[in-house]
Amino acid sequence: MSTTYDAVIVGGGHNGLVCAAYIARGGKRVLVLERRELVGGAAVSEEIFPGFRFSELSYVVSLLRPEIIRDLELPRHGLHILPLESTVTPLPNGDYLGQWRDHDQNRRELARHSLRDAEAYDELGRLMYKMARAVKPFLAMTPPDPASLAPGDLAGLARLGSYLRSLGAEQFHALHKLLTMSSADYLDEWFETEALKATKSASGIIGTFLGPRSPGTAYVLLHHYMGEIDGVFRAWGFAKGGNGSVSDAIAAAACAHGAEIRTSAPVERVLIKGGRATGVVLENGDEIRAKRVVSGADPRRTFMQLVGAEHLPSDFVAAIERFRFRGSSGKVNLALSALPDFTCLPGNGPHLRGAISISPSVDYLERAYDDAKYGEVSRHPYMDIVIPSMIDPSMAPPGQHVMSIFVQYVPYKVSGGWTDAKREAFGDTVIDTLARYAPNIRPAILHRQVVTPADIERIVGLSEGNIFQGELALEQMFFQRPVPGWAQYRTPIGGLYQCGSGTHPGGGVMGASGRNAALTLLRDGT
Amino acid sequence: MSADAVVIGSGVDELVAAHYLARRGMRVRLVRSAAVPVQHAGWIPPWVARDLGLESHGLKITRSDPWAVAPLSGGGRLELSHDIARTAAAIRSLSARDAAKWPAFCERMHAIAGVLEHLYSALPPDPLTHELSGYMALARTALRVRGLGRRGIEDLLRVLPMSIADLLDDWFESDALKGVLGAAGVMHLCQGPRSGGTAFNFLHHHVGSPPGVFRQPQSNLHAVLSALPGIEPVDAEVVHIAVQQGRATGVVLSNGDAIAASVVVSGAHPQRALLELIDPGWLDPELVRAVRNIRSRGVVTQLTLALDRDPGFTRLVVAPSLDYLEHAYDAAKYRQISAAPYLEACHIEPVRDGRHEVRVHVQYTPCTLADATWDTEQAGRLARRVVSRLADDVAGFASSVVEQHMLTPHDFQHVYGCPQGQTRHAEIALDQMLWMRPVPELARYRTPIAGFYLCGPAMHPGGGILAAAGAHAARTVLDDIKTRKA
Repeated sequence: MSTTYDAVIVGGGHNGLVCAAYIARGGKRVLVLERRELVGGAAVSEEIFPGFRFSELSYVVSLLRPEIIRDLELPRHGLHILPLESTVTPLPNGDYLGQWRDHDQNRRELARHSLRDAEAYDELGRLMYKMARAVKPFLAMTPPDPASLAPGDLAGLARLGSYLRSLGAEQFHALHKLLTMSSADYLDEWFETEALKATKSASGIIGTFLGPRSPGTAYVLLHHYMGEIDGVFRAWGFAKGGNGSVSDAIAAAACAHGAEIRTSAPVERVLIKGGRATGVVLENGDEIRAKRVVSGADPRRTFMQLVGAEHLPSDFVAAIERFRFRGSSGKVNLALSALPDFTCLPGNGPHLRGAISISPSVDYLERAYDDAKYGEVSRHPYMDIVIPSMIDPSMAPPGQHVMSIFVQYVPYKVSGGWTDAKREAFGDTVIDTLARYAPNIRPAILHRQVVTPADIERIVGLSEGNIFQGELALEQMFFQRPVPGWAQYRTPIGGLYQCGSGTHPGGGVMGASGRNAALTLLRDGT
Repeated sequence: MSADAVVIGSGVDELVAAHYLARRGMRVRLVRSAAVPVQHAGWIPPWVARDLGLESHGLKITRSDPWAVAPLSGGGRLELSHDIARTAAAIRSLSARDAAKWPAFCERMHAIAGVLEHLYSALPPDPLTHELSGYMALARTALRVRGLGRRGIEDLLRVLPMSIADLLDDWFESDALKGVLGAAGVMHLCQGPRSGGTAFNFLHHHVGSPPGVFRQPQSNLHAVLSALPGIEPVDAEVVHIAVQQGRATGVVLSNGDAIAASVVVSGAHPQRALLELIDPGWLDPELVRAVRNIRSRGVVTQLTLALDRDPGFTRLVVAPSLDYLEHAYDAAKYRQISAAPYLEACHIEPVRDGRHEVRVHVQYTPCTLADATWDTEQAGRLARRVVSRLADDVAGFASSVVEQHMLTPHDFQHVYGCPQGQTRHAEIALDQMLWMRPVPELARYRTPIAGFYLCGPAMHPGGGILAAAGAHAARTVLDDIKTRKA
């Protein structure tokens, strides 16, 4: 192959696409190579059953950085986000707890459970709003290296320090608590309603292998308040056409800037000459030369597979080996002939346009975690359910529906390993749990797709099926993501960059890693 | 009655604070409560012993060697000694790989714990400081951290928030070894080895120990301090701290007496000191809420046994694996006593009248039980279970017990005034340490009431580090007197 690209991007996940779009926008010649026949990575929409389209894996949007939406003009390229209006938690006693977008309705509902919580809810909301604003600058920041004495890093640390000090005592201490506490303990300080604490703390355990009582889970609560759509804080939404349309819009933007995208083009390895990346070799043997190679694959896949340990310093390899993935969640996607009828809120209603959370109490979530700790799928799992066809009818045939169920805990390392029988048993567990709250669900199921962490690894290539390309634990964040000293999107191989969620600031269809990596690469020049 | 300062309580920190003040010529009255949990175990910063001349008063610090003896499932014991090479040799019989890593593990953990030791030996750093001395302290800490080098800095940042299980899994493969080390990570915490922040608790308990020793020393510190002359003890309970115009003016005792003093220092849990001894009207509601939210979940029962013969171990640790500890913790999450608790039986020296004393740390035993109460029967059942579990590993143990005395978290709460039975007062967790201990507004030993100070395990550097909080609190008092704040 004679053409040389300025940059070739391994993996057409949303971060790879964002990275490509920014590099192309910077006037460089860039090529994206995607192993599968469609782009998007874990953010794809697929017609798994005829007539039924699913956001197969990732299923909601909120964290996609507004600057990316603006810079890449994504709405012009087909991005349309519809708001999720509510979260309803059915309770074992037949009641429910609703959290609604409408402030007055929300307050009335909370007051029905606890007047104190209704008060505290607004107070916490105000604090979280401030905290989300305080943390926002970190997302677009290239983390400084705390062990380096280079002027750039020292200046970065100094800026970081003075920024933290500028937050003032209230926010500084609140940030400290959010970073170090467990979500259950943190919420205990605010609320007394079990279902409220559980539903909120559930967002702290997503993508980790920790229980809600384990320190380190509170921080992710903040992400829930960071959701920002069109500049509105705290809005979670659903992309019209499923999460694949987020990827498609980014891909369209990238192409409009001149990027090339090649699908069904699996990369076998990164070409390395004299300690520098010079291109990639495809599985079919084709060589593609490029001045820069950017990997959107997770750190383990990038370094242990595409690069190879022999090209890397042994300390670095050891650090990559201990970077923790431990996928803990799965998906069940259902094609339904009818809407679920929840005992707590019978019939069709606004609650079906929002999320249904199976998280009746913190103990419930802890017990779900207990099973997973010892290598089993939770017998009574946490589930986050949405019915995308209620918001976007084009997802299913008229009168019929698609349901997306996010399930935790589903350990990657299940005792005895994953088998088809185990996968189906896991699917049954999910349906049984759902049927307890919506008894009509079984006859309404036309098709079901069950996705285990092992399937996620197989289909999308995420190691151990971790949806964030590595656990979002404090010791794997910011300047430690993925490896201390290598958190600035560069790697020990000259000309090789990383742009996946395995780098700062991590997962959640934010796109920030892709953007930060592209800006770093453009700054480095060619 | 009057005094220059009244110190409430007779724990180690209160005694130390009282003596530091007395040495500066203050007339100090120490109000001794009838019941004080005696802290035997913990690191004593050498500078406290030096300042108060404790060694010449008979301070004895003993470190058991081997510091841990773990029965192995296949028979035999794993003995972990002070001598790193000897310990490595002992580990080799379980795993050659682990044995090879032992020296490096000891050295690297010791290096990080050194930073904590540095931090614990001074007032808590204040990252938001606007004072020159505060900047200097931050700069000293930054230099100390820098001095660790790249690997040390990376270790420090990575290890602090981790779970002890993840940390140990990075290093070792032997369940028995990981069990003994993991136990130090959960010690006194209502957390399991897979909970975040337990690696920090592990390091906290390593502070002051030589490399390769992951258990704290025992001492007669409390007895030595109690016998030290120079303060005036009063045997009574304080029922109230008198406050006038936002200033502490003295204390009122249960017998109706009052002691006037412009400085009052309390070692009680902040929930007791601020919410019970002070009229809450003096406090900002935000602070009241923060104090109520101090996490203090006690999970440890202490069983003291008198034996008629030598038990044949220095410290027997029953924590055969991380999963064992995790299962023990699972029960506590749901407010139940562990069916198979983590045990640590420490043989106390010296032997008196041919009687050997063994102190057993039993974890997890929550203070509030889901469907039971801590009555005599419950306590008796637990004691029998503990003794019989130890007898599984030590032949003739059960029959050698001639006397036993048990303190459950319920006792620590109701007899010794530790809310929820947590003897560390505020749990050792990253959100309750340094400038956050026990809450940011109180972290510097002062309270919103002028002249009223806190010392005790709830204060920086926290339970398990003996005497430092008392010394720091006293220094704060003396500083304030010098600048006429007190």
